[in-house]
Amino acid sequence: MNKWLILTAIILVIVFSVTACYDSREIEELAYVLAIGIDEGVNDRVRLTIQFPTLKTGPAAGGNGENGDNSVGGEQDGYTTITFDAPSIAAGIDIANTFLPRSLNFMHTKYVVISEKLAKKGITELLMSLVRYREIRKTAHVVIVKGSAEDFLKENKPTIGTTLSKTMELLMEGTYNTGYFPNTTLHDFHNSVHSTYEQAIAIKGAVNDFKNIKENGDTDYKGYIKTGGEYTAGEIPRKGGSKVDLFGTAVFKWGKMVGELNGDETRILLIVRNEFNRGIFTIEDPKSHNSAISLNVQQVKPPETTIRFEEGRPIIKLNIMLEGELLAVESMINYNTYQLKPLIERAFEKYVREETYKLFEKCKDLNADVFQFGTVAAKHFMTIQEWEQFKWLDRFQDSEINVNVEFYIRRTGNII
Amino acid sequence: MFSQEKFGIREAISLITIVIITKIYFTSPALLIKFTGTAAWYVTLISALTAIVGFTFVYLLLRRYPGKNLIEIFEVVWGRSLGSIFSGLLSLWFIAESCIFLREFTEVLRVYELPLSPTSFIILIFVVGIGVLIFLGLEAIVRFSKLAFPIFILGFIVVLVLSSLNFNIHHLYPVFGYGITKSIFHGLIRSSVYGEVIILAVFYHSLQGVKYIGKSCYSAIVLSGILNSVSILAYLMTFPYFTAPRIISLMYEMTKLIDYGRFFQRLDPIFFFIWNVGSFITVATLFYTGISIYCMIFRIQNIKPILVPSLIILYSGAMLPQDATVIITGYVQASREYSWIVYYFLPLITLIVSKFKGNKGEYSKK
Repeated sequence: MNKWLILTAIILVIVFSVTACYDSREIEELAYVLAIGIDEGVNDRVRLTIQFPTLKTGPAAGGNGENGDNSVGGEQDGYTTITFDAPSIAAGIDIANTFLPRSLNFMHTKYVVISEKLAKKGITELLMSLVRYREIRKTAHVVIVKGSAEDFLKENKPTIGTTLSKTMELLMEGTYNTGYFPNTTLHDFHNSVHSTYEQAIAIKGAVNDFKNIKENGDTDYKGYIKTGGEYTAGEIPRKGGSKVDLFGTAVFKWGKMVGELNGDETRILLIVRNEFNRGIFTIEDPKSHNSAISLNVQQVKPPETTIRFEEGRPIIKLNIMLEGELLAVESMINYNTYQLKPLIERAFEKYVREETYKLFEKCKDLNADVFQFGTVAAKHFMTIQEWEQFKWLDRFQDSEINVNVEFYIRRTGNII
Repeated sequence: MFSQEKFGIREAISLITIVIITKIYFTSPALLIKFTGTAAWYVTLISALTAIVGFTFVYLLLRRYPGKNLIEIFEVVWGRSLGSIFSGLLSLWFIAESCIFLREFTEVLRVYELPLSPTSFIILIFVVGIGVLIFLGLEAIVRFSKLAFPIFILGFIVVLVLSSLNFNIHHLYPVFGYGITKSIFHGLIRSSVYGEVIILAVFYHSLQGVKYIGKSCYSAIVLSGILNSVSILAYLMTFPYFTAPRIISLMYEMTKLIDYGRFFQRLDPIFFFIWNVGSFITVATLFYTGISIYCMIFRIQNIKPILVPSLIILYSGAMLPQDATVIITGYVQASREYSWIVYYFLPLITLIVSKFKGNKGEYSKK
């Protein structure tokens, strides 16, 4: 009898305890925020914009806020953006929970979008409040946008399919397929903004108003070979599709944005940081000027970086190893020979080398080691005290670099 | 004599390893990184080596008095009254450790998963579970540990391997952290992390002899030393020395970062499973040891009559600290830095005194 009583008591305790009565929240009680935008506030300290799915389609979609495509109904329904001013992010969440029938939940937040204006004033404190907030995963991407975060999120909508979360995730794949923007997450940003090794970077984003694409000859293009990556977000000459551009890199120094890198510079930066996967590069044909050669370039080995100090001055030696595939030769010259193939290889090596020097000088001017050279320099110091006393991030501007590039064309496409 | 169920070496190693390495899921690694920086991953190995030396005193004591557990040896060497004080200190320490651990677990659980649940509710549920396990006895705890051990280790390895995506080996430099002196100092005092091996000396009669205890304890220290070191190495490679000390649970944050594309991410449940199982076993073991010693001191044959009052003490003890800061920077820190006094120093002075007095166990006399 006693055994049965004990067993019943145990079962009752287990049954009641697993209900998680205090923290249980049904899915229909929550609004899953996909993106959070942060601008400078007008009525209060920050202006928050949150974007979340409304979980419905059809004419009624759009809710209390503005509908994703600024219209009622249509196939882009199913999500909404709401903008409001608040004294802080945490307070803003509470404010939003008063006028929303569901509680905001940030466990599925994919983008943290911050306006450039705010980023230039410094976002370390803001970032810390995001990092401290338990619901926000540090895998969320950090995007710094030209203009306002509010406008950016209003234009953030699916162009293929109807799922915004999928669109946002797949858009981030661009970093692996092109290298035109970095894959900066809240984790990376948090680490680097407090770092003694490096300065922080973030994804550059903007709303493309489609005004950069000219219909007539009123452009600065004079027929020379362009790389395709000389733009930053919002400048790409295009029309149609989503107005959201992710292109280039925002450079930070001690939590304040101090500069930006265009697509080409971003690729070089990612190569040096060993974060470049693959991308198509266009260079001028070494034997036929004004003809383009396209190369599908991959980074298969991490760059070798060594640093030595001459009278306290860092001398960096960088060896970049890339390989690629010949994709297109406009001039129709047959480069698939032992004699001619090295010509392209040397031309591309020269291009990467020169771009690396240019980028290095640019970053030295900004005094921002975004290359993560500090992580290598730290090996020369025995203790953290010695390392921190050296102040690598201040001494970076005194450094000098020697770049060597090795590039091999492994394949030549479908044509022998 | 207080009844003690039998178990083998594998069970013993599983139990002690789980009890020792569950700490890496909580605030201890962050505190260690705060004090020793990039050197933290090998500082814990220094602690493990120190613990081996520390446990050797206990082992020598057990060898000197074959057939007697640590509590009985205290009484033989110091006499009933003084020996009871020594044993009482050990008992109190284990009960305090279990209260601290339970509260730390509750606070971390509230931070990450159950922010709305009252602390009292979480503690109560846990205490009830522990009560059931203790009611079933030491054998149940040990068998449960053996059952959970492979899953625990597998989950641990899976999390570490999957997290390798975010590793940056350069974060381990400068290699000496905040200096060799600091590293050695913290390595020595934090040997308390491995101090729970002494549990097997308390349950001497459950194992088949002093050799088995030695084998189990040394193996558990070595194994948990390696696992601790590997996990701190992983933490440091994911979170550099300047951000790691700010994070409450490095393992949990590391698990949250696992992202292998759209279909393979959000693996927190793996973490939660091993975290909860580990904490459950740890608190149950520490508390069981504490009240067992109490029973041994007062010649209470069975733990069951004092179980409910003891659980009320566990509940109240866990509820006592005012907030998470007091727990993390006060109690946990003190426990990691001063437990060696109870775990190694008491047996050491007992060993020294017994050498001076020249008394030995019955078996040795023969």
